[in-house]
Amino acid sequence: MSRGEIRLEGLAKAFGGVVAVDAIDQHIPGGEFFTMLGPSGCGKTTTLRLIAGFERPDAGAIRLDGVDLSGTPPHKRPVNTVFQSYALFPHMSVRENVAFGLRYQKATRAEADRRTGEAMAMVRLDGLEERRPGQLSGGQQQRVALARALVLEPPVLLLDEPLGALDARLRVDLQVELKRIQEALGITFVYVTHDQDEALTMSDRVAVMRAGRIEQCGEPQSIYEEPATAFVANFLGSSNLIPATVSADGDGCRLALGAFSLRAAHGEVASGDALAMIRPERVRLGAHGEPGENRLPGMVEEVVYLGFHRELRVRLATGALVKANEPNDGSVAEYHQGDPVSVHLPADCLRVLAADGTVTA
Amino acid sequence: MSALRNPWGKPRGLALVTWLYVAWSIVPVLLAIRFAFNQGRSRTEMQGWSLRWFWQDPVLSVFHDPTLLSALRQSLVLAALAMLIAVPLGTALALGLQRWRGPASGPVNVLMLLPLVTPELVFAVGMFLLFTTAFSFIGLGTPAQVIGHVTFSVSFVVLIVRGRLATIGPDVEEAAADLGAPPHEIVRRILLPLLAPAIAASLLIVFALSIDDFVVAQYLASGADTTTVPMRIYAQARGAPTPALNALATIMLAVTLLTLALAYFVLRAVNRGARKGAALEQLATLDTGSPIR
Repeated sequence: MSRGEIRLEGLAKAFGGVVAVDAIDQHIPGGEFFTMLGPSGCGKTTTLRLIAGFERPDAGAIRLDGVDLSGTPPHKRPVNTVFQSYALFPHMSVRENVAFGLRYQKATRAEADRRTGEAMAMVRLDGLEERRPGQLSGGQQQRVALARALVLEPPVLLLDEPLGALDARLRVDLQVELKRIQEALGITFVYVTHDQDEALTMSDRVAVMRAGRIEQCGEPQSIYEEPATAFVANFLGSSNLIPATVSADGDGCRLALGAFSLRAAHGEVASGDALAMIRPERVRLGAHGEPGENRLPGMVEEVVYLGFHRELRVRLATGALVKANEPNDGSVAEYHQGDPVSVHLPADCLRVLAADGTVTA
Repeated sequence: MSALRNPWGKPRGLALVTWLYVAWSIVPVLLAIRFAFNQGRSRTEMQGWSLRWFWQDPVLSVFHDPTLLSALRQSLVLAALAMLIAVPLGTALALGLQRWRGPASGPVNVLMLLPLVTPELVFAVGMFLLFTTAFSFIGLGTPAQVIGHVTFSVSFVVLIVRGRLATIGPDVEEAAADLGAPPHEIVRRILLPLLAPAIAASLLIVFALSIDDFVVAQYLASGADTTTVPMRIYAQARGAPTPALNALATIMLAVTLLTLALAYFVLRAVNRGARKGAALEQLATLDTGSPIR
């Protein structure tokens, strides 16, 4: 069995009556890059802090390789954390920061020196050994925080928005590097973020969290392509969510959208009010009056230039607004503000999700 | 006025007021020091320069008058003991209060600050009653004076150390625990080094408070050998004052300034690597007033 397998069983935590983590059950196999994604206040950081031991659960168990950790204080848990604020020790040099925890692993002097050197090489900190954290850039501080945790060779590394304080370019570089390190070491990463790009880029599996619960958990591609709820569809990437009425039909699902009828290949709802969901990059625009299935008349209300693509906001005849992305592939913009168009919503890209009061189209 | 008409001009009016204030507050001190070096016996008329009142006069100088010498010794002993007791005690209290999350922690926090606003006289009278009745086994004298000074200066230590704890934040403690450090190691390897500037400032403040105190020391004194410098100066100023009193005050001022300088260098050493001037800023923000009034 691989090391670093985590099982959360009925894990719950409330702060002064406010539920932060609501009876979470989750299995994380050893060596997985597992990401908890969600808006602030969804309980992702509290879940991480429960695993680290900074908070005590109200109920439930945290099993690491079969052993329940929930009664173990943080300094005796074999997991290490990379903090959002890095939490480096300002009065110690980079080397002293990285070597800090080795003292408690009863490492010999020679072994400690070797491992410190290796950890710093792994995160490319060579040459900065004698600097103080205050003399480092944000990216360098982040690497020190990473080396300080990795040097202890934990079976599980917990990362709390570790890239949150960095600028966009650096963030992309470090995403690649984090994934490289995780694959090289083969240890479990439990990663908390509110950034969907980070979650999609690095993770083996993503758990989208909402109000203390895991709303959906799966591989990045399946979560993006097959969101189970309107919340997931909206939080991960951009979505069109169009209110519609479902009438079950043999082949897939039939949707009534005002006077128009649509066919959807995938449906979560059998009948009644629902949301028709489609990604903006899957919406096709054609000349007004184009014949075919799932085509709705509309008018281009706005064209937004976004660099790598153009986003066209099209008002359907039913009143709903649909976003459609056109790749910026060098072709001349086909449609302009005020143009009548035919909006094609391909049936196999259309999903029917339960209407949920918190998300509006 | 020019500053009002030209917002980019130098604020000359403000500078003038500042310098007037500095002069106003420093001239009396300089005058007092001047007469410490007076050749004659007068404390109002300049009569040449000498070190007569420090040690040259075989009877009346600070170093030959046993009452002045004993007062100096008593003041320094009280200040040293107050520092040694109040600072570790206050630091421990600050750490405890910072962690304590309970229904009683709020009221206790307020109670901790009460000594800062209690009139000194009320506090001294209370202490006096305590040591003459309930705690009569301690009685009046040096131990009572030390306890008195520790009691009112602990609040300052708690205030200073907690301020620093708040800026350190809980993250580094959690990080240390996460890396395997047990609680006592977190205090030793992380908190104490990071609290060093606050502890240095606390030592200085407690020293200044104790040296400066008249009321508490007066009430809890038991006789001639527990008389402190402020008490001696007060008593003799009404009797037959000589410039030896000025010499005594000058020595106290020198000792206090030396302590300040020492604290500055300690802070600077601790802040190695931090930006320049940080130590001076920390001292400035922590000083509660001039150490000798």
